Amino acid sequence: MMGWRRRLAAGALFLLTLAATPVLADDRALSELLAPLCAGASAERVAAVDRLLDAVETGAAEPAWALRALEAVGGRRLVCAEGGVFITSGTGVIDAVTSAPGLADAVKAQGAFVDLRLRPYLDMGSAVLRLLASPGGPASGAALGELQKRAKIVPPGLIERAAAEPANAALAPGLRDVMAVAALNDPDPALRIAAIGRLAEAPSERNRTLLRDLSGDAALTSDPVVAAALADGITRIERWLTLGQVAASVYSGLSYASILFVAALGLAVIFGLMGVINLAQGELIMIGAYATFLVQEALKSVLPGLVDYYLLLAIPFAFAASGAVGIAMEVTVIRHLYRRPLMTLLATWAISLLLINLVRVTFGTQNLQFNVPPFLNGGTHVFADFIVTWNRLFAIGFALAVLAAALVVLRRTSLGMYIRAVTENRDMAGCVGVSARRIDLTAFGIGSGLAGVAGLALSPIYTVNPAMGVNFIVDAFMVVVLGGVGSIAGTAAAALGVGMINVTIEPMFGAVAAKVIVLLLIIVFIQFRPEGLFAVKGRR
Amino acid sequence: MDRRDFLKNSAALGAALAAPAIITSRAKAADSLKLGCLFSSSGTMANIEGRMNAVVQMAAAELNAKGGVLGKQVEVLVTDPSSDWPLYAQLGRQLLLQDKCSALFGCWTSVSRKSVLPVVEQNNGLLYYPLHFEGEENSKNVVYLNSPPASSVLPALDYLMGPEGGDAKRFYMLGSDYVWPRTINKICKGYWQSKGFSESAWREQYVPLGFSNFQTIVNDIRKFASEPGGQPIIVLTTVGSSIPDFFKEIINQGIGATDIPVLGLDVLEADLEGLDTAPMVGHLNCWAYLQNAVAPANDAFKANWKGFVEKSNLAYSPTTVIDPMVSAYDGVHMWAKAVEKAGMADPDAVRAASAGISFDCPSGYTIKMTGENNYVSRGVFIGSVNDKQAFDILWQSKDTPTPVPFSPYA
Amino acid sequence: MSGLDDVLIGPRRPAPRRGTAPMVAAVLALLGVGVLAAGAGGAGPSAYVLNLIGQIATFGMLAVALDLIWGFAGVLSLGHGLFFAIGGYLVAMHMVKVTFLATGTPPDFMLFMGWDRLPFYYAGLESFAYTSVLVVVVAGLAAFAIGYTAFRSRVAGVYFAIITQAFVYVAMLLMFRNDTGFGGNNGMTGFTEILGQPLADRRTVAWLSGASILAAALTLGGSALLTGSRFGHMLIAIRDDEARLRFLGHDTLWIKLTVWCLSAVLAAIAGMLYVPQVGIINPRVLAPDLSIEIAVWVAIGGRGTLTGAFLGAVLVSALKFLLTAVAPDLWPFILSGLVLVVVVLLPNGLLDIRAVLASRQRRGTP
Repeated sequence: MMGWRRRLAAGALFLLTLAATPVLADDRALSELLAPLCAGASAERVAAVDRLLDAVETGAAEPAWALRALEAVGGRRLVCAEGGVFITSGTGVIDAVTSAPGLADAVKAQGAFVDLRLRPYLDMGSAVLRLLASPGGPASGAALGELQKRAKIVPPGLIERAAAEPANAALAPGLRDVMAVAALNDPDPALRIAAIGRLAEAPSERNRTLLRDLSGDAALTSDPVVAAALADGITRIERWLTLGQVAASVYSGLSYASILFVAALGLAVIFGLMGVINLAQGELIMIGAYATFLVQEALKSVLPGLVDYYLLLAIPFAFAASGAVGIAMEVTVIRHLYRRPLMTLLATWAISLLLINLVRVTFGTQNLQFNVPPFLNGGTHVFADFIVTWNRLFAIGFALAVLAAALVVLRRTSLGMYIRAVTENRDMAGCVGVSARRIDLTAFGIGSGLAGVAGLALSPIYTVNPAMGVNFIVDAFMVVVLGGVGSIAGTAAAALGVGMINVTIEPMFGAVAAKVIVLLLIIVFIQFRPEGLFAVKGRR
Repeated sequence: MDRRDFLKNSAALGAALAAPAIITSRAKAADSLKLGCLFSSSGTMANIEGRMNAVVQMAAAELNAKGGVLGKQVEVLVTDPSSDWPLYAQLGRQLLLQDKCSALFGCWTSVSRKSVLPVVEQNNGLLYYPLHFEGEENSKNVVYLNSPPASSVLPALDYLMGPEGGDAKRFYMLGSDYVWPRTINKICKGYWQSKGFSESAWREQYVPLGFSNFQTIVNDIRKFASEPGGQPIIVLTTVGSSIPDFFKEIINQGIGATDIPVLGLDVLEADLEGLDTAPMVGHLNCWAYLQNAVAPANDAFKANWKGFVEKSNLAYSPTTVIDPMVSAYDGVHMWAKAVEKAGMADPDAVRAASAGISFDCPSGYTIKMTGENNYVSRGVFIGSVNDKQAFDILWQSKDTPTPVPFSPYA
Repeated sequence: MSGLDDVLIGPRRPAPRRGTAPMVAAVLALLGVGVLAAGAGGAGPSAYVLNLIGQIATFGMLAVALDLIWGFAGVLSLGHGLFFAIGGYLVAMHMVKVTFLATGTPPDFMLFMGWDRLPFYYAGLESFAYTSVLVVVVAGLAAFAIGYTAFRSRVAGVYFAIITQAFVYVAMLLMFRNDTGFGGNNGMTGFTEILGQPLADRRTVAWLSGASILAAALTLGGSALLTGSRFGHMLIAIRDDEARLRFLGHDTLWIKLTVWCLSAVLAAIAGMLYVPQVGIINPRVLAPDLSIEIAVWVAIGGRGTLTGAFLGAVLVSALKFLLTAVAPDLWPFILSGLVLVVVVLLPNGLLDIRAVLASRQRRGTP
């Protein structure tokens, strides 16, 4: 989100240096407007923001020019020095008033620190000015969101002006909501009722709090019509809020389930087919994440234009990297242990230890930095405090795609048929000419590759470091066992169940208890149905 | 002879022979002072603890370059307790009793310190502990190099509750479920009570160590923040990977520092390593050192670290330094000064000589030990996240406040 | 399920070689007496060495306990840390309570939880005898509850391993909580004395160490007797073909349950001896990977041979103590390499080198 906002600001700065020069007032007055923004106590700087906005309202200053100044303050790039007020940037220094290039040597310092008191005013001021300077521009949605958060401190005059801009027509209802907050305390009951109505139309915790605050104010709610409107408004908001909470829970549950599913899928394939407990599965996930990181770094240096799509471009690499490690494991170790599954458990534990430490020695222990692409940053507000975050939506979509792909491969291809045949009856499959050894190797490669892809899908959500895999292994196993060995649909159903139960319990008893309860439920369930939710009928 | 059998036997033999071969490779200079390191370079703590070994070695190298301590070279024995708490105790015993280390440097988590504590107490050793922690402890066998909560956390709270920090009135405490967050939160609650806040002003939430799925909790935080009663803040005491994972979630849900500032009590420069910090600008932390501290000693320290990492080709970031590293570095130098003053490295003598020892810390403060307790007086910084994966200094104490091990609010 | 068990438990193996375990037990007993004498006489190795030997002996005992159930009955538990922890926590509660009563200084967790008295379940724990009884009873009951439900539903093999792993993980999560009264993540420490003897004293160290060695010797000797008995043959029969045994009219459930509970109680006693020596107990002993490590000891030494399990634990834990101090960077590589070599090349453990050598000799002579 910040990325494009910054880029936009840079673009605006560039245009402004070419064209925008204030013509409405003399430079000295403008310079006096900016000077107090440079430094000083934050109360004074807040007042200076207000004065600047006033100047825009009265027409003494242009919105684009004021916007440039406020953004410079926020980025600590507005510097007062001998000879005026300057804005520094990566490329040079310009005079904040005249846009004339300044002397880079004279202005080297960073602008003053922006504290938490000043920052909301800067954000609010920039948002309203952006709506005026480039109405309907790409950043206007974000600007509206900002204004809604700061409804209590916005200058109503400027909001009205922004709402009147034809290019802002799409935002006008939202802007009127912002103004409604101010109208809540209006002496005219009709306006108050209208404002209550407007706020009730946009249900959110914040608006409920505003209405509740109002209902505590006897002077403003003595009018029975107002009181009734208020009570009705609060009820309506609460109804939506409940719905929003349910939606948020379902979404959390879905996203957690997707994470569990992608982490467990590779395991399900390997465990289901060969009865091999692969304790190194978490590390294969980790290797997938590292492969993704390497692809990102390679793109950065070779094809910087494609960096934003590294998550998609890295899929084959993540699959191949983990798949190759998996195949190497199979050939060197697991192959010798097919008749001794409990020993594979120890062997894969040793391999996981080895992989963690190899990666640690090669890459170091620090967290890897992923440049999350803009389309996965942030989220969108759906209704009533229900936010859909893109990275989780990506995980959900990814899980569905992987589920579909796995089902297609298993059900519709000959490879899938062989895999199912070996899963159901290894000896009989051998009798009809299926090379169980080759299928084992392929399936192990696929299962490992799926873990690698899981690492890719998890990298925007989780912290990536050599020890990351450890967090997944117990959960993933419980999902596989619960789902029923060898059943991908079962794994998906189990992941969904665990995810949903978990998010339902969590708000009630806390995260620790939720985890404990879910695990105990699974253990109890397995006592009654050791074969899991969906058992593949087979002899192994 | 069967080739397969030969392979089997030689492999087994190799395994049996490997161990002693490595052991004998450990050089033991006869006439040197030994410092033992108890920092995990593998396991869950490796991410941040690993680099501590290197900084102790760097400090020792500095001492040796100046001719050592009492004319003897300082030798650093590095171990790997593998994030396994009982192993800290065992290795501590080994370093003290077998290797005859003059002092131990180590531990990050409270539980690792608690594991080593009986070892140094029973065998009269000295442990230099570089982390800020929950306080409520003052062993004569531990030198607490960092600030107890009363000196660092409360000023940060004051700042957030003042006009410059946005007049915080409501507090969401989110922590990992163990003793440090619980004690810190208890102190905070006591402090708020003394300021006249009622219990409805705060909410407390704990997550398991290593927890990463913060979606539901951030929803709860948004709900808490929208309730009436004034500006909310988050007092974050999660540790390890739960820190970046939490920040990722609040960024994605659109919560910035101007909405709900986060006071991340265990958030270090190293925790920001994997994050795009632009949407996090303005969140706070408080430590006794920040990477951006303005002091000549800091420039020298950072240059030294960069050189040390690059020369030894270590897998740590050459440009990231964090408070506990500086604390450990201070610790080595203060130990050396105390040994020089005492004329010997005996723990009792060093402890007695430590009173009045001071050192020019990279933070810019002259830190000192009074002898009243085993804590070091440090300066306090409040930092604010900037967009360059570091902290701008928002506030710093005028001098070094006297450390108070036992908080009146606990 | 029989086919499944057959695959999951492993190939049929010959009955274990007998004879080495009683011998090793006898040697151990001598060593134990020697350590006790060293403690009483004030001569001999340093307290550090005695303590180290004592700790390693408890690990050996733990490994033998696991081998009883895994090596002989074919049931792999990846949750033996749970029983080890039960013994450890109970004895820690005993020592905490004794210290509290004697000095009036409350343990850390009471301070930060703001409690002025110990929770009710500390009642009576100032008595060592009661604590010892409780260790046996609690571990036995916990094992019975887990074992009865699992064995009755015929959960076996890999599934049982995963369930026990989940149990130990759940227990760890619970113990992390501070309001349970067991000290949370920090656990319990700061023990001063046991049975009236100061723990820092070399003599106490020697006694504890000697007691651990003797307990390990007893476990080893007793297990050798047990596995050589008719009961032991039943166990091996269960491991090799449980379904057939059931078919022949034997109630395998109770045979498995008996040895499972016995194994759990032995693990708990090992934990009870371990904690006073290491001086701390915390949820770390409940970490899933630590429970896997116990199985690694057994596998390295040789599953199904009591001596092998014991020596495996001694070898790996001694190497761990040594190498994490001496060559910390290499230790994880050496451990994983050792496991892989043993698992792939020496399927019956390091002790199998003898058999491999013997077979080579036999083939070498025409």
